[in-house]
Amino acid sequence: MSLDRLFSNLAGYMDQYAVLPILYHFHWMEWDELSFDWCLVCIYGLFAVIVTYAVCLPMERWRPVEHWPDQKAVLTDVFYTLLNRVGVIPVITFLLFYQAQTWFTGWVVDMGFIPPTLDSLVPGLFGHPIITFWIYALILDCADYWRHRLSHSFRAWYALHALHHAQRQMSFWSDDRNHIFDDFITFVWFFVIGLLIGIPPLQFPLLMLGLRFIESFSHANIRMSFGPLEPILVSPRFHRLHHALRAAGRGSCNYAGVFSIWDVIFGTADFSNAYLPTGDAKAPEALATGTYLEQQLCGAKMFFQSLAKSWHALGSRRPT
Amino acid sequence: MITRRTALALPFGLLAPAAYGDTPPPICVVMNSGAASISVIDMNTRQIIATEPAFREPSHWALTPDRKTLYVCDAGGNAFFAFDPVTAAPLGHCTIADPYQLAYSPDGKYLVVNALRLNHVDVYDAASLSLVKRFKAGEMPSHLDFSPDGRWCFSSQQKTNALFSFDVQTLEPRWTVPIGNTPAGVLWLNDKIIVCIMGENGIIEVDPVDGRITRRIETGPGAHNVFYDEDNKILYISNRGPGDTSLAALDPETLEIKRIYKIPGGPDDIEIAPDGKIWIARRFAEAVAILDPVTGEYDSIPVGRSPHGIYLSTCLARKGKLTAEII
Repeated sequence: MSLDRLFSNLAGYMDQYAVLPILYHFHWMEWDELSFDWCLVCIYGLFAVIVTYAVCLPMERWRPVEHWPDQKAVLTDVFYTLLNRVGVIPVITFLLFYQAQTWFTGWVVDMGFIPPTLDSLVPGLFGHPIITFWIYALILDCADYWRHRLSHSFRAWYALHALHHAQRQMSFWSDDRNHIFDDFITFVWFFVIGLLIGIPPLQFPLLMLGLRFIESFSHANIRMSFGPLEPILVSPRFHRLHHALRAAGRGSCNYAGVFSIWDVIFGTADFSNAYLPTGDAKAPEALATGTYLEQQLCGAKMFFQSLAKSWHALGSRRPT
Repeated sequence: MITRRTALALPFGLLAPAAYGDTPPPICVVMNSGAASISVIDMNTRQIIATEPAFREPSHWALTPDRKTLYVCDAGGNAFFAFDPVTAAPLGHCTIADPYQLAYSPDGKYLVVNALRLNHVDVYDAASLSLVKRFKAGEMPSHLDFSPDGRWCFSSQQKTNALFSFDVQTLEPRWTVPIGNTPAGVLWLNDKIIVCIMGENGIIEVDPVDGRITRRIETGPGAHNVFYDEDNKILYISNRGPGDTSLAALDPETLEIKRIYKIPGGPDDIEIAPDGKIWIARRFAEAVAILDPVTGEYDSIPVGRSPHGIYLSTCLARKGKLTAEII
């Protein structure tokens, strides 16, 4: 049995015996068509966590950049990962995306326009799903590069993103440590992209997981570069430079998530052969070593304070 | 891509690949909703002979009234995909808003499409595929059927727990009635409407005149779709869960359950082959089951993720109007 089929079967069991009974109990059966997809997301997410753990942990032991006396701060990152990859966040995002996309598409269709998808729009693309997948991957990764770069450019936005940078014990678990408001901005960002080019097809979940693996791997506490592939794929060394103490906030480098080519094209690449300490010296300690809730509350507080500051600064510039 | 008008105007024989030297084998066409693909199976060898791409989410099918084109809906991709109904040779695609389930009116004048995500019941001119009327009768319109005289159309509204009916001649709404938690499959049978009520684990019988519920029958968890085997006079209900899933065989007159076939993996749409075997799309198992209704044993053919609609070219031998639900 292929891996893909095995996961589908597992998702089927999960749906039939765990999720559907809940949906039926609460009279939410209208989601019955979609619950199988939610289960698939969870099963693939769990598989991704297991594979990432199995690959990264031995490598972190083999060639670590840093040795830590204890790893309490990493435990919170584990929670973030499980929440984001296997837990409720993918389902909530899915539901939000579905509702928003449905509402918008309905409105557009009522206006007499049927939104296209990339493969229906570009001649010759239809019938070549692998090529379509890679084009979607490149477009979405480029969009993510700009989202990430902008999050370092606006004070209030960075106040949220600082949670991601505050980790001094950066490991493969750190990829998903984000403020929930920051996750929401990311959701809106990709929602707009999805409206422009259509939602990417989901027929290659394993390839999708491969890309997500690169993102996790790039955070790993591993002394490793990709050699001649450095200008193409984001390596642990390349991404560590982005997380370096000196690169926190504005004026950072290496923003790309998967394909480092965007940093090369847009002039933000730094290929220095250095493994620097990570963290954000200006971030409150709660952001670095607090519990999940402490980090979220601290991030929200910083965000609103930053917004207020920006508002005042804007006001003081207004002519009286 | 072909445009809607071109697709309809072109003689499909010119678009289709070279004809088979011999008689083409009977085929089964499976719409893999989760894999954006359509599997074509040789019914004799039970081997997949082609996998055709779709944009996003192929679901259900309909044959044009002249039986020359098989349309497959792709709701997420906002498209119809056209195929040769004998060979499954692809004939192109055209843009349609969110087609989830569809059926031609008995006189062949209209094509009615349930746009499940967008909450529309859309009536298209069958010849030009231009939109004639859009009903916003409820949320998540799921399945539909017509009265045999073509006067009325019935569409289940999955989220608003209602059955909606409109007059096909005047294109005016007739009524919308509450019928139970999450209705899905709809079928005209013996001057009544049979509707699957997923949340109530069974079917109801509805008076098509006023929408009054006249009977309720429990068939199994998550009763989802309904099919009628006209030759053998058996009504089939696919029960898609939660828990164990099954196919229930009922007497069409008494609605009494005759037999329950345990089919794991969420049976959805079904078709019957000339040898009496029932071909079943197993949504959660990436497979098509071929059930022997006598022994209750079944074989499985692996297909793409989330197989949904299923079409057998052998249905072309049947007389009269061909729909996905009359098998």
